[in-house]
Amino acid sequence: MSTAATPLRDLAPAPVADTLPKLLARNAAAHPHDVALREKDLGIWRAYTWADYHAQVKRRALGLSAIGIERGDVVGLLGDNRPSWVISELAAHACGALSLGIYRDALDEEVAYLINHADVRIVLAEDEEQVDKLLRLGDRIPGVERIIYSDPRGVRKYTDPRLIVASALDRVGDEIALQRPERYDELVRATSGDDAAILCTTSGTSSNPKLAVLSAGRLIRHCESYLRVDPKGPQDEYVSVLPLPWIMEQVYALGQALIARMRVNFVEESGTTMADMREIGPTFILLAPRVWEQIAADVRARVMDASPLKRFVFRLGVRLGEAALKSGAKGARALADLVLMRALRDRLGFSRLRSAATGGAALGPDTFRFFQALGVPLRQLYGQTELAGAYTIHRPGEVDFDTVGTPFDGVEVRIDDADANGVGEIVTRHPNMFLGYYKNEAATRTSVLADGWMKTGDAGYFGASGELVVIDRVHDLATTSLGQRFSPQYIENKLKFSPYVAEAVILGDERPYLAALVCIRFSIVSKWAERHRIPFTTYADLAAKPQVHDLLRQEIETVNASLPEPQRVCKFLLLYKELDADDGELTRTRKVRRAVINEKYADLIEAIYAGQPEIGVDTMITFQDGTRQRVRTRLKTVDLVQAARAALRSPLGAPG
Amino acid sequence: MSPLYGTGTPLLELSRVSLRFGGVKALTEVTLSVPAGDLFSIIGPNGAGKTSALNCISGRYAPTSGRVMFDGRDITDVAPYRRAAIGIGRTFQNLALFGHMTVLDNILVGRHHLLRNNFVAGPIYWFTGACREELAHRAKVEEIIDFLDLQHVRKAIAGTLSYGLRKRVELARAIALEPKLLLLDEPMAGMNLEEKEDMARYIVELNEERGMTVVMIEHDMAVVMDMSKRVLVLDFGRTIAEGSPAEVLDDAQVARAYLGAAEGFGRNAEMGVATEIAAP
Repeated sequence: MSTAATPLRDLAPAPVADTLPKLLARNAAAHPHDVALREKDLGIWRAYTWADYHAQVKRRALGLSAIGIERGDVVGLLGDNRPSWVISELAAHACGALSLGIYRDALDEEVAYLINHADVRIVLAEDEEQVDKLLRLGDRIPGVERIIYSDPRGVRKYTDPRLIVASALDRVGDEIALQRPERYDELVRATSGDDAAILCTTSGTSSNPKLAVLSAGRLIRHCESYLRVDPKGPQDEYVSVLPLPWIMEQVYALGQALIARMRVNFVEESGTTMADMREIGPTFILLAPRVWEQIAADVRARVMDASPLKRFVFRLGVRLGEAALKSGAKGARALADLVLMRALRDRLGFSRLRSAATGGAALGPDTFRFFQALGVPLRQLYGQTELAGAYTIHRPGEVDFDTVGTPFDGVEVRIDDADANGVGEIVTRHPNMFLGYYKNEAATRTSVLADGWMKTGDAGYFGASGELVVIDRVHDLATTSLGQRFSPQYIENKLKFSPYVAEAVILGDERPYLAALVCIRFSIVSKWAERHRIPFTTYADLAAKPQVHDLLRQEIETVNASLPEPQRVCKFLLLYKELDADDGELTRTRKVRRAVINEKYADLIEAIYAGQPEIGVDTMITFQDGTRQRVRTRLKTVDLVQAARAALRSPLGAPG
Repeated sequence: MSPLYGTGTPLLELSRVSLRFGGVKALTEVTLSVPAGDLFSIIGPNGAGKTSALNCISGRYAPTSGRVMFDGRDITDVAPYRRAAIGIGRTFQNLALFGHMTVLDNILVGRHHLLRNNFVAGPIYWFTGACREELAHRAKVEEIIDFLDLQHVRKAIAGTLSYGLRKRVELARAIALEPKLLLLDEPMAGMNLEEKEDMARYIVELNEERGMTVVMIEHDMAVVMDMSKRVLVLDFGRTIAEGSPAEVLDDAQVARAYLGAAEGFGRNAEMGVATEIAAP
């Protein structure tokens, strides 16, 4: 298999059902009584058949058209993952309108920016929380004509004339269906796969997000290429927990689910996700690296609390699992399953997994190995919103932790501006990529080269086996002042495998050596502190304890041992708060925003490199509920190489 | 629902209720009247007789003199369990959950007085309607679980939950009774800000959307003044003021009662309140 993918000509001709509502109509006609969606409501899983699903989309689409939604309009969607969301999205598409999903935890300014930038006329908001957000924006969103809410609780008291309850809109739709029974079919027939259908926010590690315009036909064709390397069918169960505005959830919960008739399940509340997941037993799952890391950390934390016998069984099981992974022997696998893994998979809701993926950012190899040893068929995906989501994946049985696999059929990947080691910018093209950025010609021209190649902004190279290796964002690749190139993200991922580390930021660009800002993982470090009888009050207090510094020092030294000497972390300090997307330090998909951190913690960073052993901090933290707390603390810089430097006269030189 | 407020006869009336424990006068001639649909708060320093007043309403204490009227009927001598049946639900200042039972079972206990089946009919589950009845009650309980966002702890053992959550479960149990009048004894004591805000939202929604009449004792002045339609202030078992939150804040006697606390009557717990109340 060549890596730079086959030419595009032998792709199948465009399917007849080239929009999502057409696919839905096809499924409802062919399999009306099969379960399409499930939602847990009032403690019971309630199923929607394809016929129900179709009927709901029909009434809502007719309702939307009754209030004036036409071809080319933009409909905003805001809320949790619920059937109502996908129904509304399909209804918007049936009207020929574009859908724009807005992240439910987006801040007011972000919501206002997106709504105004995309000329959203109607917003479908789930409940009081989301309606409040929109009403709070007042006249900052003048273009919004209607706000449609599904859950009337708490909203009834508002008198804003723009508000309509979704059930009322659906009743309007029912009336139209009675008067003009053929109306909906006409609408759906008029939709075209070539039209823009979905606006997807790009993660925007800098400034305001851009909106990638995707057409339904392209999305469907791209989902089909994906399904060829990771087939799914009507027997498959999927639990929709990724944010629906994200391209990959659009691919799974809408595209693939409608093409392959995979059942999509919606959990009751975010707090019940793990329990609900276990009840469903999904056969496919995609989680962000952070969530995989969190699950691995939780397992470890629980084991720390368990009895010595259980700890022994866990360690034995993990060793057996790793041995089985190395040897590939069936017997070893069975033994590991018997001792630990089957029970652990069941506990996590992974018993029926046939396929699992991680994507969005890199996942540390150790976490990867842990889940592989657990018997979870975890694979890495790689892609961008602009390129309709993932376009490379590990082929089954060829999982190399360091790579992101090979491209789907019809996807071409090349490396531009490669250096001596073959490392350069990853540039991709395929026939089903986005149409351009919404109302941003300039940005489209900057990212898309003349012949349709899209610059991804990621640095990478092709490995010996022809699989793509992604290192980091091109502009995040850093060089020390001594000329040593390194990838901060690579080292950060290594650090984050420690259960005690929640987040780490590696510094060192144009500095003589590497240093790290580390956030402790509060849930686990606090447990550790309790066990060691270390009294503490808050996060900041815990992070300032000398014992905690010693603990983290050991963790970082372990990581250092696995790194080449010039890439080792020489100094670190423990931050007094966790990095947070609300403070702009992380993106909504939880990637570190380096520019923000460099600016916000500039004096800390200066102090580290100036060689100050202690740095006073006096700052205000704003919590989500709006309360502010003053934090006054002294951060201690831990120098990992001082002793070694004195003895060995390390080439790093004394700073400051 | 606001149309209910202030219309018709009061739902609850205390007329000249006094309560004595030997020589201690817990309540002296307290008179109050709560119309249907009201959100009524009773405030006052520690030992002012707030909980005693609530206990006279729920029937835990029998007043030494005076009458308690509920829904047009004299209930002064009605036993507490019968008051539950006629529509008075309550929560307690110190939690009174069944710690070893699940959240679901605790809330189901609130439905007990509505159950028709007994221990004879219950075991022949499918023939006596017990099955249908259980389903109906479970559905009601699930609605309450949804209302109070308790889904994630539905099957957790009540005793293992955090304090704030247990308070919420207790409220759920009181609502399960489907009372006309809900008595809340310090529903927000010992909660953090977020829990308080949630609890305040639930109480307001119960009152506004479900039309439940609420009588509440609460220390957090900001909460009381923000939520209540009317406030009664007790001091040493006597009513010293009654009216809308704004009227009560303006009352000189109230300020004195609270300021007095600050001057050393040993009511240190109320000092925070004293400053807040004196400020306007």
